[in-house]
Amino acid sequence: MRRFPIVLASLVISAAVAFAQAPKVVSGHMVLDANAVHAGSTVRAAVVADVESGYHINDHVPTLDYLIPTELKLQPAAPLSVGDTKYPKGSPQKFSFLETPISVYQGRLVVRAEVNVASDAKPGSYDLKGSLDYQACNDRACLPPTSLPLTLSVKVVPRSVATRPANADVFHGLKSN
Amino acid sequence: MNGAEVCCSLFIVYRSSLKNSAFIVSAFEERIMKKRFEIVSGAVVAILVVAGLYWLGVRSMAPAHRVRAATITHPMAPDFTLTDINGAKLSLSDYKGKVILLDFWASWCGPCRIEIPWFVQMQDRYRDQGFAVLGVAMQDNPDSVNNFYQQFHLNYPVALGNAQLAALYGGIYGLPTSFVIGRDGRIYSQHSGTTGAVVFQKEIEQLLADKSENEDADFTPAGEPEEIEVGTPAEANPDVPGVDISKLTPGQLADYKKQLEGAKCTCGGCKFSLLQCRRDDTTCPVSKKMAREMIKQMQDAQDKPKT
Repeated sequence: MRRFPIVLASLVISAAVAFAQAPKVVSGHMVLDANAVHAGSTVRAAVVADVESGYHINDHVPTLDYLIPTELKLQPAAPLSVGDTKYPKGSPQKFSFLETPISVYQGRLVVRAEVNVASDAKPGSYDLKGSLDYQACNDRACLPPTSLPLTLSVKVVPRSVATRPANADVFHGLKSN
Repeated sequence: MNGAEVCCSLFIVYRSSLKNSAFIVSAFEERIMKKRFEIVSGAVVAILVVAGLYWLGVRSMAPAHRVRAATITHPMAPDFTLTDINGAKLSLSDYKGKVILLDFWASWCGPCRIEIPWFVQMQDRYRDQGFAVLGVAMQDNPDSVNNFYQQFHLNYPVALGNAQLAALYGGIYGLPTSFVIGRDGRIYSQHSGTTGAVVFQKEIEQLLADKSENEDADFTPAGEPEEIEVGTPAEANPDVPGVDISKLTPGQLADYKKQLEGAKCTCGGCKFSLLQCRRDDTTCPVSKKMAREMIKQMQDAQDKPKT
């Protein structure tokens, strides 16, 4: 029992060192606002991404023209096509390397996209693939532009099968630019 | 005795001194309180250490590179040849005998824009003493680099870099990353992230003062010392950057690449295959390590005598 604080400290320190060495600073996944879809419908998809603490990625509409924007790229694949994409509002932050604040995403961000299902879509599971392209910095240095690969599995069901809402915590009350 | 035990002892002495007061504590209660105190103090220490490590990690972006100055070796700076933005050949070997500041940067990198005006001043100040700045723009486009060159009135050669060059210089984890190279062609210091102008000045002046082309054994890093890691030309290949594939036959290379495609990189939020991560993110230390282990296992299996 005497050794418990030392063991606890060691475990936490090991985790911190491993965490500090991870080079990919954005993790995330894509979700749909329903458990299944019908042919001819339009549903909402969302990318839920988390930016590692201490880092930021640029707003989709960067404050300065030389900054690389955050961008969601989805590849349409029949019977799925992609409609409007809505990005969250960034927050203005001041960094030591700039004289004025810039709009950035920190922590969690949610990017929404409309997904259209073709009217002749047959029942089955279809993958919607894409990536969230971003470029991250902290207060002293920048990582190269990179992408977070994304795949969303969309289940098309006959009209006779009811669908129900899903991921309400993601889609409820979202604001965007 | 550790800190927690000292604190506990003092606490017990204090409580013992109150033995004759109205606040007498039973021996059982004292043990409980002592254990709770140990747990809480251990947790507080852990939190402070984690916070400190995290702060250092975030501030440096290269926590694994921090070392004691005395342990740093000074490898030869790998030679390279690029074409600068004015169309002229840019070879590191052409600058032998000079003190060089080799700066990896990008026009989209805000912190890089802090340092570059200093480098322009240093180029003017130390040029006649045998100093040169060389700029390598990474993952950038010619128009943006050209515009930047004009806007900031750069007075030194700038070229666009590539993944092979990044692999030669240890992977270039983030930008800016700068190397201070002596007259003997050795790298004397590496700086990851924005570094103060004074640090560069002190190091450059030390190396300029040494007119010989021998290794400067008295060099002292002015900033936080970082381990200097360089790659080899064999590792700087476009197929699997960061991994020496020179000993593989074409068939073995094809098999190796298939294995890399079938394995996932396990760093942070990466969902790339190992091969994709090596090509798209040469800075990733996790995929580099995994890919190197995989080729070693493959080569060990081939070297093993067949029974």
